[in-house]
Amino acid sequence: MNTKRVLAIFEKDIKDFFKNTSLIIMPVVPILLAVFYNALFDDFIPLFTIFIIIGMVFAGVTSYCIMIMMAEEKEKNTLRTLMMSPASFLDIIVGKSLVAIVMTISTLLISIVFLDVYHVFNLQTILGSILLLLFFILLGIGIGLFAKSIAATSVYIMPIIFIFGFSPMFDLFGLEEGHFVNVIFDALPVSLLMQASDEGSWMPLILITIWVVVAYLFALFSYQKNKNDD
Amino acid sequence: MDYVININNLSKSYGNTQALKDITLQVPKGQIFGLLGPSGSGKTTMIKTLTGELKKTSGEIQVLNMDEDQLSTPNYKAKIGVLSDNSALYERLSIYDNLKLTCKLYDVSLNEIDTILEKVNLIDDKKKVVSKLSKGMKQRVMLARTLIHKPDLLFLDEPTSALDPGNVDKIHQILRELNEEGTTIFLSTHNMEEATNLCNCVGLLYKGIIQEMDHPDNLRYQHSTNQFEVETHDGELIKIENKPENSGQIEQLIASGRVKRMYTDDPTLGEVFLKVTGKDLGS
Ligand SMILES: Nc1ncnc2c1ncn2[C@@H]1O[C@H](COP(=O)(O)OP(=O)(O)OP(=O)(O)O)[C@@H](O)[C@H]1O
Ligand SMILES: [Mg+2]
Repeated sequence: MNTKRVLAIFEKDIKDFFKNTSLIIMPVVPILLAVFYNALFDDFIPLFTIFIIIGMVFAGVTSYCIMIMMAEEKEKNTLRTLMMSPASFLDIIVGKSLVAIVMTISTLLISIVFLDVYHVFNLQTILGSILLLLFFILLGIGIGLFAKSIAATSVYIMPIIFIFGFSPMFDLFGLEEGHFVNVIFDALPVSLLMQASDEGSWMPLILITIWVVVAYLFALFSYQKNKNDD
Repeated sequence: MDYVININNLSKSYGNTQALKDITLQVPKGQIFGLLGPSGSGKTTMIKTLTGELKKTSGEIQVLNMDEDQLSTPNYKAKIGVLSDNSALYERLSIYDNLKLTCKLYDVSLNEIDTILEKVNLIDDKKKVVSKLSKGMKQRVMLARTLIHKPDLLFLDEPTSALDPGNVDKIHQILRELNEEGTTIFLSTHNMEEATNLCNCVGLLYKGIIQEMDHPDNLRYQHSTNQFEVETHDGELIKIENKPENSGQIEQLIASGRVKRMYTDDPTLGEVFLKVTGKDLGS
């Protein structure tokens, strides 16, 4: 990996991000929602709404951003020129991931400021958020490499937002403790983060780490598949 | 002799399709080599094999004294420039920002941007967003991007296809200047005029085989019947073999004042191609 080349890709992609309307709206949505929730609940904001916003940031900003950036480079054939330059594939991926990281952290911070809910962030939640960032980046890379076109990406992002992003919402359904739907949704990464915040326990972090490993294997698989397609 | 590209018995197959068959060719430093062939003849395959994007099936290739396994290294990539048939720019960014990325990837000073834009005649447009440029301008930006790190060897896959004649001339001019400064150029084209006007050596590629290879003028002379054709004012067509002994006859004709037009019947490269392969270049 070459820092100078990574930063070159980062600089190009962040500039491009702010000129791409389909990307720029993604951070706006959770921030508007944060403003709205803050107005709606004046003193007590339910925990799950906070984590739905966090889930939206991870799915809609982190994963989607990196997916679109990868898919577009492939579809428009600019990836080939990058690959013919001295930059390595890792330089390209890391440069793009940095864009996703910067956009995610800014969106998260702005949303939290609007929500005014600093108390949910204990040590476990902060560490868990870092793991989640990694998970959603790897998921985005995996799908970005896998997707044949930008259009395909917009299809793949839907289940990601609904399943991974909105998983804390399933608490709302009032299903009894131990119901299989609850068990499944409680095991999803963003729900685990909510548990880490709620209970201050370390167990959810271990489970999130397993999700990170799974996402890593998926990204690796996509990379190999993508390589053999050419 | 020091060859920039040295290929021996190169073959490349995609599954059952054999795209290149037993190709042997050498390109010396400073040459403009042109692969002339119709669609599907294997031009892109040839270039991708040399740029390290495709692995050969058999044979030997050496480019810039590097073996095939070194062709995917950053070291090799820094020395070559590639303009492929489907290259593209970042449409939402300006010309300047596109080139800035390239400079940083190749570790080239940003001052080179103005120099190269001057060369491709786009210096006044450098702040323009790429999506607003014409096709010919985009192609010149891509050429600038390919040249900015001063590669020793340039690969151009159909660099002027689908451009208007004005832009084709501009690009040819740039390539000639570059070549005079010492850059070796390996290009592919299906345009016989491009091959004739630009290249020092042309390989006629058909069905993955280089059918003939020589200086374009030599290719044409070899397939010429070597005759002068003289058209007279009264409509007669006189054919005279192009030999020193016949100079008297030609002088007489001119002196007689009957000559309306006079030309050699050297074929164009397209006609040579048709003669050698039985296939028209245009398709
Ligand atoms: N990825 C691929 N898989 C299978 N066959 C391929 C592949 N790429 C090219 N071919 C085949 O190899 C042959 C040569 O193709 P190539 O693209 O090199 O031709 P070309 O001279 O560049 O044509 P064009 O002028 O249309 O660009 C063709 O028969 C083509 O169908
Ligand atoms: Mg081609």
